[in-house]
Amino acid sequence: MTSTTYPAVRSGRRLLGGPAGAVLVMAAAFVVAAMAFFAINGRESVSLFQEMVMGAFGDTYSFSETLVKTAPILLTALAVALPARLGLISVGGEGQLYLGALFGTGAVLAAVDQPGWLLMPLMLAGAMAGGALWGVIPGLLKTRLGVNETISTLLLNYVGILLVSFVVHGPWKNPNSLGWPATIEFPESAILPQFFDTRVHMGLVFGVVAAIILHILVTRSRWGLGLQVSRSNPRVGATAGISYERNVLIVMAVGGLLAGLAGIAEASVIQNRLQDGLASGYGMTGFLVAWLAGQHFLRIIPLSVLMGGLLASADSLQLYAQLPKASADILQALLFIIVLAVASLWGRRREA
Amino acid sequence: MESFITELLTLLFAALRSATPVLAVVLGEAMTQRSGVINLGVEGQMLLGAMTGFAVASITGDPWLGVLAACGAGVALSMVHAILVLGCGANQIASGVAVLILGGGLSAYYGIPFVGDRIDTLGNLNHTFVSDIPLLGQFLGPITPTVLITLLAIPAISIFLFRTRLGLRWRSTGESQDITRNLGHNPVPYQLGAIAFGGLMSGFAGAALAVDYTANWVEGMTAGRGLVAVGLVIVARWNPWYALPAALLFGASEALNLKLQSWGLPISPYLLATLPYLIPLTVLMLSYRGLRASGGGMPAGLRVVFQSAR
Repeated sequence: MTSTTYPAVRSGRRLLGGPAGAVLVMAAAFVVAAMAFFAINGRESVSLFQEMVMGAFGDTYSFSETLVKTAPILLTALAVALPARLGLISVGGEGQLYLGALFGTGAVLAAVDQPGWLLMPLMLAGAMAGGALWGVIPGLLKTRLGVNETISTLLLNYVGILLVSFVVHGPWKNPNSLGWPATIEFPESAILPQFFDTRVHMGLVFGVVAAIILHILVTRSRWGLGLQVSRSNPRVGATAGISYERNVLIVMAVGGLLAGLAGIAEASVIQNRLQDGLASGYGMTGFLVAWLAGQHFLRIIPLSVLMGGLLASADSLQLYAQLPKASADILQALLFIIVLAVASLWGRRREA
Repeated sequence: MESFITELLTLLFAALRSATPVLAVVLGEAMTQRSGVINLGVEGQMLLGAMTGFAVASITGDPWLGVLAACGAGVALSMVHAILVLGCGANQIASGVAVLILGGGLSAYYGIPFVGDRIDTLGNLNHTFVSDIPLLGQFLGPITPTVLITLLAIPAISIFLFRTRLGLRWRSTGESQDITRNLGHNPVPYQLGAIAFGGLMSGFAGAALAVDYTANWVEGMTAGRGLVAVGLVIVARWNPWYALPAALLFGASEALNLKLQSWGLPISPYLLATLPYLIPLTVLMLSYRGLRASGGGMPAGLRVVFQSAR
């Protein structure tokens, strides 16, 4: 009975044993887990899940809100995936995002009287510098002192968030805001362009373009090849004239720069000002997405849209089903746990 | 002069109290890492412990039940890490971040009804014989039970790790799983136990924070203490005795932050609040210089974890 396997069954089995099967299992497991989570909390799970999908991709408005959330996730995911190419585990997207917003806003406040054609580039340059700074510091700590980048980036996240709190409660606080801790509103000329009357903004374009450029650079250029050599064996790399130390600083700076752009986009387009709680959690979500994508730049794009959808739908569930905001974190974590488990098990099977 | 000494001692004991949750996590995580597993999820476990402990204390009216429940919650959540890492062979850093986010989400979700509740505290040593000790009594009096339990855990862990056969195998697991296996011991039970112990200590740390130290529950109240603790494990060289000065570093920077604020210095409280992160980070930097030269007691099995991003 067991010995007869039809070709169709065999090829089906091969398919299920491969990446397609893994993705299928992941998706099924996540749907079950999400519904179980709703059911445990006494909610009508099927209808809530439907509502969730509609809240992310149901109509043009929902989809535009999904894309609004996609932008910072995409950029912070790239800030994780690029250092990962060198074997670095950076969890600093959150802090880099805040520093980008901080420096970008600083540029806006300093040059608020300048014409728009000057103000916008200054703002973006400031944001990139701020984010890059928060990437280079852990990079330097790594290359000069050997401090583990995972721990230093995690700690610097808190410092970055507090620095933003400091300026919006203190020196940069708008005196006319009736005590609300925030800067003045950004002038019209410092608000990034948006598309089709939605809140979808240039940040998304920055992210997609950056992902494509990074993909080409890493897979096609000498520098990208050097990263691979450097990662697998820094000493061999050094004999070929590839400096591991310099590459650490480059990937951390470029990663930070991208996360910084995410920060200024949030401040400029979404909030119109710098304030506390600018973008809580995008950095961590970006970290998850980078891992879900296997640190692959192009795969990060669709996965960011998917995760943006999850966050957008959590927003609408909060509004219509009074589901607490934290449910987004729980669903994200469940998805991440399932993907980690299935990917690791499937990877192990392939080795066996 | 006398008032200066008084001031200094007050600061030191304040540091000890605020260091206690961090110390508990450092001890637990050091034990986990001694078996060759790193768990960044302690931050999430601590949050879930804090919320669960506070909720149970609020519902039952018994803060000690809260502490027990917190330990249970910490262990339960740490099992997610155990399943992912030991069961599925997932990357430890990624798995830790997953646990971190899950713990943050669960505690925020289920903690909502308890925000603003009042609970009975565990009490302290005031009005016992200790507070009657001349000179020192006024400093020892405010010490709470979780401080004492955590301090007692130091010699207990140290004896277990360095003076028992089980502790020897625990450490050898962290040095090399292959050798441990060749000696006929399965490393998995040790690592499972190590993760569970880390869960227990981080859950307890959550209770020490929410049930004992602040008697309050606020979403995200651990504010990175668990992650600071993971960094301090390196400063402490994976040694339970050094964990105390390492954790006191955090406690002192937090106590200093509050002290400077109470003096009304013209420095923003937000800037001062960066001290509990920047000071441990600075010490970590100095600590790494020694680590590079000597290896600093890092379990050899951990190096592999620290050097792979898939």
